[in-house]
Amino acid sequence: MTDRTLRHRKKRRPIRPGRILSFVLLSLVCALVLLPILLTFLYSFFPMSEMKAFLGTRNNYAQDQWMDILLSPAMVSLRQHYSVLIEKPVYLQLFFNSVRYTLAILAGQALVIPMMAYALSRFRFRGRDTLFFIILMLMLLPFQVTMAPSVLTMRSLGLMGTRWAVILPLVFSPFYIFLVRQYMVTIPPDLFEAAMMDGAGTWRSFVHMVLPISKPILGAAAALSFADSWNLVEQPLIYLGENQALMPLSVMFNQMTSSEPGIAFAGAALYILPALLLYTYFQEDILLGIQLSDMK
Amino acid sequence: MFHRKKSLWLFLLPGLLGLMVFYVVPFLGGIYFSMTDGTISNRFVLFDNYKQVWGNAGFRLGLQNSLVLSLICAPVIFICAFILAVMLRALKEKSIGFRNVLLMPYLVPSAALLIVWMILFDYGGVINRAIVALGGQRVLWLDSGALRVPVVLLYIWKNIGFSVVIFSAALSSVPDALYEFAMLEGAGPFQRETKITLPLILPTAFLVFVLAWVNAFKIFKEVYFIGGAYPHDAVYTLQHYMNNMFAQLNYHHVTTAAYSFAVIVFVLFAALYASKGVRGLDR
Repeated sequence: MTDRTLRHRKKRRPIRPGRILSFVLLSLVCALVLLPILLTFLYSFFPMSEMKAFLGTRNNYAQDQWMDILLSPAMVSLRQHYSVLIEKPVYLQLFFNSVRYTLAILAGQALVIPMMAYALSRFRFRGRDTLFFIILMLMLLPFQVTMAPSVLTMRSLGLMGTRWAVILPLVFSPFYIFLVRQYMVTIPPDLFEAAMMDGAGTWRSFVHMVLPISKPILGAAAALSFADSWNLVEQPLIYLGENQALMPLSVMFNQMTSSEPGIAFAGAALYILPALLLYTYFQEDILLGIQLSDMK
Repeated sequence: MFHRKKSLWLFLLPGLLGLMVFYVVPFLGGIYFSMTDGTISNRFVLFDNYKQVWGNAGFRLGLQNSLVLSLICAPVIFICAFILAVMLRALKEKSIGFRNVLLMPYLVPSAALLIVWMILFDYGGVINRAIVALGGQRVLWLDSGALRVPVVLLYIWKNIGFSVVIFSAALSSVPDALYEFAMLEGAGPFQRETKITLPLILPTAFLVFVLAWVNAFKIFKEVYFIGGAYPHDAVYTLQHYMNNMFAQLNYHHVTTAAYSFAVIVFVLFAALYASKGVRGLDR
């Protein structure tokens, strides 16, 4: 009896009302998720004067006053983008500060993290498990806890108020050591034996075998680390103090847009754009990376 | 696995050095530092700093708000992410586009989104329009305790995709046959998810909750963007307190606050871990 029901079900492939409901609900949620990003890009093509006037109607506490719901511009204009990129050097300066931090952090991580992960995953040495446990702990500790002591180091090294204070701790970020290590552990040992047979030492196995195999996770780590570095707020505020010239865009963006409301949206759109491009390019790798951060 | 290779040090040393210098050594040294007074003689005062910090209203407020905000965010992210992951699974291969959209905000810098948020939550903004249309009263989102709502929403908007991806991966490992069987036995969709899915992915679920929770401790950017260094009392976080102590160059109190927080977090972890262990024994 059960057997027959089962076979019957398989043939017919039941239409589940759950699927339709899921589709509708997910469409709604995704529309909501996309809305802020789409609005930012849409508003970046409004004329500067219109945007300035629109933002000027904020914080009006009169009971009968509403902000307009703007959906189509009086005329499509590239003026905001032009202004951000060419007329107002402040924005570009901050933008390149952010670029500088991001590149420096990624370059540092590229030098340090794959090697460390290799050592942790492929070598047997005394204290390895302790070291791995420490890395796990550091990774789980809230930012406020690890940040305060590292200020002590920065002070004794004389790095407070310099770019290095922001860059250096992030170069040794425990999370990315953990992430890359999780992937390298899964490389089959046979490969290493074969490489040794062919006369490859630890260094050549690393460069010619481990690095190419680990490409997906390195891409994931780079993309996730980019997202962090592009969005730095806490670290610069603390390590740089009052040194405004070194601040990245993420910290100064709010201030800049309130003094130049006409170009706020073009500024935001151009700020989001690199992140979106990177996301589309590294999509698959990022997914893999996030799934690997699941500790088994 | 390589044994007793000298080259180990080549690979290990740079990273190890950095971890020691920027994380481990200052962490240990900081414990002593937090027990000395900040004067030239640098006396050892044991718990005096801790007493002062705990006596400080700003610290207690910040600590309380950070815990409250994280305890709002973590369960919401946990439940929503689970439901979204279940719906994604129902759609099979058609779900990829949805999943990609859900994860997108994770890469987007939140500073850039702030301006849209301010418009949506303005006193005359769309959200208040909707509330009035439904017969409610306008809410002062950005200038009152209600600021918690836009802050939490911005945080969830940005971070939920991460948890959805982890859940999705775990869900795909649950065999379909189990659901078919449950359906034959007459289990409804709600029962199927709570009685089959959740127990099977319990370790992952635990991890998602802990990560969502730990990450939510650091809610600060979102508040800082909207409210600045001294926002409304309801959203004054621990990070605000620490930043303001830094601004006054009071490093002793910053480190003391950090360790007080560390102790609390460890206790919470231990409690959570123990409760999970106990439940594991029951089954």
